[in-house]
Amino acid sequence: MSFTITCPICGKRDLYEFRFGNEERGPAPDQEGLTPRAYSEAVQMHTAVGGPQQEWWYHRDGCGVWFTTWRDTLTGRETDEKGNIS
Amino acid sequence: MKLKRLWGTSPFKSSYDAVMIGGGIHGLATAYFLAREHGMRDVAVIERRYVGFGGSGRNTAIVRANQRSQGNVRFYDEGLQLWAELIRDLDFNMMFYNCGNLNIFHSEAARGAARLAVSTAQMSGVKSLLLDRKQCKELIPVLNIEDNITYPVFGGMYHPPGGIVRHDAVAWGLAKGAARYGAHIHQNTEVTGIDTQNGKVTGVQTSRGRIASPRVLICAGGYGALLAQMAGIRLPLHPLTIQAMVTQPLKPVLHHVVSSGAYHVYANQTLKGEIATGAHMDPWPNYTTNTTPHYFKHQAEALVEILPFLQGVKFMRHWAGIADMTPDMAPILHGNDPIEGLYLDVGWGYFGFKSGPVTGKYMARYMAEARRPEILKPFSLRRYEQLRPTGETAGAFSYGPWN
Ligand SMILES: Cc1cc2nc3c(=O)[nH]c(=O)nc-3n(C[C@H](O)[C@H](O)[C@H](O)COP(=O)(O)OP(=O)(O)OC[C@H]3O[C@@H](n4cnc5c(N)ncnc54)[C@H](O)[C@@H]3O)c2cc1C
Ligand SMILES: [Zn+2]
Repeated sequence: MSFTITCPICGKRDLYEFRFGNEERGPAPDQEGLTPRAYSEAVQMHTAVGGPQQEWWYHRDGCGVWFTTWRDTLTGRETDEKGNIS
Repeated sequence: MKLKRLWGTSPFKSSYDAVMIGGGIHGLATAYFLAREHGMRDVAVIERRYVGFGGSGRNTAIVRANQRSQGNVRFYDEGLQLWAELIRDLDFNMMFYNCGNLNIFHSEAARGAARLAVSTAQMSGVKSLLLDRKQCKELIPVLNIEDNITYPVFGGMYHPPGGIVRHDAVAWGLAKGAARYGAHIHQNTEVTGIDTQNGKVTGVQTSRGRIASPRVLICAGGYGALLAQMAGIRLPLHPLTIQAMVTQPLKPVLHHVVSSGAYHVYANQTLKGEIATGAHMDPWPNYTTNTTPHYFKHQAEALVEILPFLQGVKFMRHWAGIADMTPDMAPILHGNDPIEGLYLDVGWGYFGFKSGPVTGKYMARYMAEARRPEILKPFSLRRYEQLRPTGETAGAFSYGPWN
């Protein structure tokens, strides 16, 4: 079985055309008073959710766009925000 | 014939002196060493499925001690020496086949990296040699050193003391050994929560009820990040699905472990005659164990270039497991921070088989004495925020003809 995700420009494509760009982390932390631990927490640590998560992808072998989508790490399948297969 | 079980079932108690989450070789080895070296026998290993379900029963069983950084080599070398002692003490044949590993490289850049790794090994008293391409061919006559392939062979890093150990035997032998000392192994039992109070661990919640314990070790292999989440700890881990496969059995023909970073492949012939081979990881997080046709194709293409005798040989079985990858390709062996009594043995990626017993030995000491053993210093979780990664990613496998 081959997995797909949906590029906002090219549509549903083979997952191997894309490059993973990490889980969505929210806004960068405030520089003011930023400790090494808080910085590390923001840029090096992952939540590594077991289930649906929002994540960044780059359409490397396609149109070159960066976008976010949802994917369930327990099944590998693209989902919507509620975890349903889209 | 009456069959004797290697380990039996035990009563499910409501408290233990220590609880290991995960019935792989790391958890079993820690239980075994807690009893053997520290007299702590009232311990439990909690396993969601069955002993060996995780990476411990899925890995390709390669052992070696030729890593890039000194802290790693020292640790893996002790791991390599430990097999003989374990086999004796457990009275269990783990079929250690020290055939040696040849890591071939295909560029000047990779040769440079290999030279540094060889120096690290030699300075650490570990046998490792740099070979030119002709010497590689003398060692492994079936290796293709011609120029007619995508990445012609430049030379290799040869590590004679490494090889293969039978992974099921390791899991079963350690389970037998731990149980012999009185450890309780609870299979089909899932940990669903980690209890803490005032910054201290107090026990775990399981599908069969609560267990109180002042010491809890997370040694759940690829699932480690999910367990850490239960204690509110985020880790620099990506769980990646890693695949492996074996061919139909052949007469003995390949007498070493061969690996190539540029081709992203490794292969060895098992004692059954099959060529066991693997390496591919999908570079995005998954807690799944799917195999992919994309990878069979890659594997076949790479293998017939460097080992052309494999042309036409069939793959018989394929499978996958989860590698919990850290950014610096070294594990996180950490405890009592941020939660007292909670210990982490995670981030073993695709290198945690060879190190299972030695990690158990030192995590047992860590837990018994509540003090980090010297040899585990390079593997603290805090190295990331201190910007002191281990340097392991500078190994020869990271360099290809494209560098
Ligand atoms: C295909 C493949 C090839 C590999 N090749 C090599 C190799 O050649 N050399 C090498 O050194 N390493 C290799 N590895 C890596 C090695 O297999 C692992 O690092 C090692 O097995 C980790 O052992 P462990 O005991 O820590 O975890 P595991 O063996 O993964 O055991 C963890 C256990 O925890 C259990 N668990 C998970 N969640 C829970 C829960 N909530 N409650 C209770 N139990 C839970 C799981 O069921 C599992 O049995 C490979 C791995 C794979 C997948
Ligand atoms: Zn696109």
